[in-house]
Amino acid sequence: MTGHSSRRPTKAGVTNDSRWVLRVALPVVATLSIVAPLAWLWQDSRVPSVYSVMDMGYLDYGVGVMADTSGGGHGGHMQGDMPGHVPGHEMATPRLVTDMVADPPRPADVRVDLVTRQQMLSVGGRSISGFTVNGTSPGPEIRATQGQLIEVHLRNESVADGVTLHWHGVDVPNAMDGVAGVTQDAVPVGGEFTYRFGADQAGTYWYHSHQVSNPQVAGGLLGSLVVAPKAGIAQQVDVSAVAHTYGGVRTINGKAEDLRVPAKPGQRVRIRVTNTDNGPMKAWTTGSYRLLATDGTEVHQPTVVSGRSVTLTAGGRADLEVTAPRDGTAFRVQLSKATAVIISPSGVDVPVPAQPADELDLLTYGTPAPVGFDPAHPTRRFEYRIGRRPGFVKGRPGLWWSINGRLFPHVPMYVVREGDVVAMHIANHSGEVHPMHLHGHHVVVLARNGVPASGSPWWVDSLNVLPKESYDIAFVANNPGIWMDHCHNLKHAAQGMIAHLMYEGFDTPYRIAGPADNQPE
Amino acid sequence: MRTAYKVLAYLVAAEVAVQAMVMVWAIAGLGKWVAGGGVFDKGVMESEGSPPFPEVAGIMVHVFNGFFVIPALALLLLIVSFFTKARGGIKWAVIVFVLVIIQGLLGGLGHDFTLAGALHGLNALALFATALYAARRVRAATAAAVERPEARTAAPV
Repeated sequence: MTGHSSRRPTKAGVTNDSRWVLRVALPVVATLSIVAPLAWLWQDSRVPSVYSVMDMGYLDYGVGVMADTSGGGHGGHMQGDMPGHVPGHEMATPRLVTDMVADPPRPADVRVDLVTRQQMLSVGGRSISGFTVNGTSPGPEIRATQGQLIEVHLRNESVADGVTLHWHGVDVPNAMDGVAGVTQDAVPVGGEFTYRFGADQAGTYWYHSHQVSNPQVAGGLLGSLVVAPKAGIAQQVDVSAVAHTYGGVRTINGKAEDLRVPAKPGQRVRIRVTNTDNGPMKAWTTGSYRLLATDGTEVHQPTVVSGRSVTLTAGGRADLEVTAPRDGTAFRVQLSKATAVIISPSGVDVPVPAQPADELDLLTYGTPAPVGFDPAHPTRRFEYRIGRRPGFVKGRPGLWWSINGRLFPHVPMYVVREGDVVAMHIANHSGEVHPMHLHGHHVVVLARNGVPASGSPWWVDSLNVLPKESYDIAFVANNPGIWMDHCHNLKHAAQGMIAHLMYEGFDTPYRIAGPADNQPE
Repeated sequence: MRTAYKVLAYLVAAEVAVQAMVMVWAIAGLGKWVAGGGVFDKGVMESEGSPPFPEVAGIMVHVFNGFFVIPALALLLLIVSFFTKARGGIKWAVIVFVLVIIQGLLGGLGHDFTLAGALHGLNALALFATALYAARRVRAATAAAVERPEARTAAPV
């Protein structure tokens, strides 16, 4: 019992006090010193049950802004935690994202009805829970000719979480961007929404849901969108190959098998490859090819390539031109090792070509051409530094993606003014690849790791940023509104890798969560 | 509190063993799936929904344990150590906690800098041994205290 004797108050009060301090107070203080900061970080990471993306994070006006006429010129670098709304808002009535629509009185040239359903899919002999558009996954391909107005009428029949349609790579008017909680409310079961936008730029695009997008896109709520040039294409055969992985099963156009393209010997084939997955995909061929376009923009003077693979980042597209063999053999375009597009007029097959060690470098591919603006003299410069660190996001502990050192929701809101030439430096220090996707704009790559681009203007809407890589990109702020600027590994987006680009004086009437339960990630 | 300390330390050690087991289980499943014609790449790795082979669950368990369960256990062990009267109890709880943090960072770092993955494996052994030692030495201290009660009174806190 000697062990318990020290607890009795047998000694002088001072000793008892010091013992009490040692026994109780110190451990409690030590515990609090650990728990309290964690509790603070935890509560700080929580987001309100309803909020506007306008109240998220902090405003970043960039560096090098010219003096402006409103008198509130933001010289130098300005940022601060967002107290409420943007300064411009007090001066004038904000413009709403809903105002940004395509020429309302103009009749549509292409009308499409799309019905979304939540259902089981049969993929490669397996039954997988997923989503369909008009009964299939991928949904129907939408085809238009450059200059036409596309009108898509969406009806959600049975997707319980609600749906939207985002036109990936198409620089649509902001109200048509299909981001739940930013440009519209999610369309509930039984609800409808009409999208109208001009098919102004010929190229290969795709559409997908941007409501609860990580599971919905993975589950197949997507489809292809092709805008053909007015003059037509130079190739005799035009085929789309939408690559998607359903529960680990790789597919092309929804089938877990190779895609056989009917083509006559000597015919040139344009293969529009879309990577709808969360990770980068490599494409390579048995023979030579040309890369005609990336992300819906033509490469200037593409040369013939052989022995190199093309990397398609998540969400990215590549248009390849190959020639159907005349010698009775077959031509394979591997879309990863698992699936291929086979062009074989004679019906034979050839073995899977070995994956090349080298890849086509778009920094030097093709020949230079004017980009239509002067990226050397931007009016704003932004940083988009991607990192990874321990902390809390939405109340959950983990190792999370950071943007400019901060975790969601304390991420930058990049503020631009219409007409700005915007330069952005993207650097990846996170140890993992990130497919960076800016909505509503195409960006041109100026340099990678400080090495200037020397080939064709390399236009992207989805950029593969590898660990330790940095990119300098530029774009013209010519499509007013509020736009997501996020990682298209939609898992990462759901983990908070989301920033926005907003034009001064804009606001959105929509809310994240709220009655429509908008969850864009 | 000694019991809590002991149990938490043993749990950390047991969890490290589980971590090693589920990873090898997952890798074995991957090997079997690839041998059967499956192609594993970033697209498959990042795909959602039903997994291509059941052993993928091993990776999920590893991530959940590594991010949530083990750090929580190590944190609890540290807090409990403040209230446990055992010489060096706090020190060994701190060591366990630090090794857990290092383990998490090495795991994350290994995605890019693969040698960090090798150190992740080595640090796992260090963590396992440390957690086991922390648990056993408290038990030994308890036994010693029972056998030699004077030892307890001589030891402040």
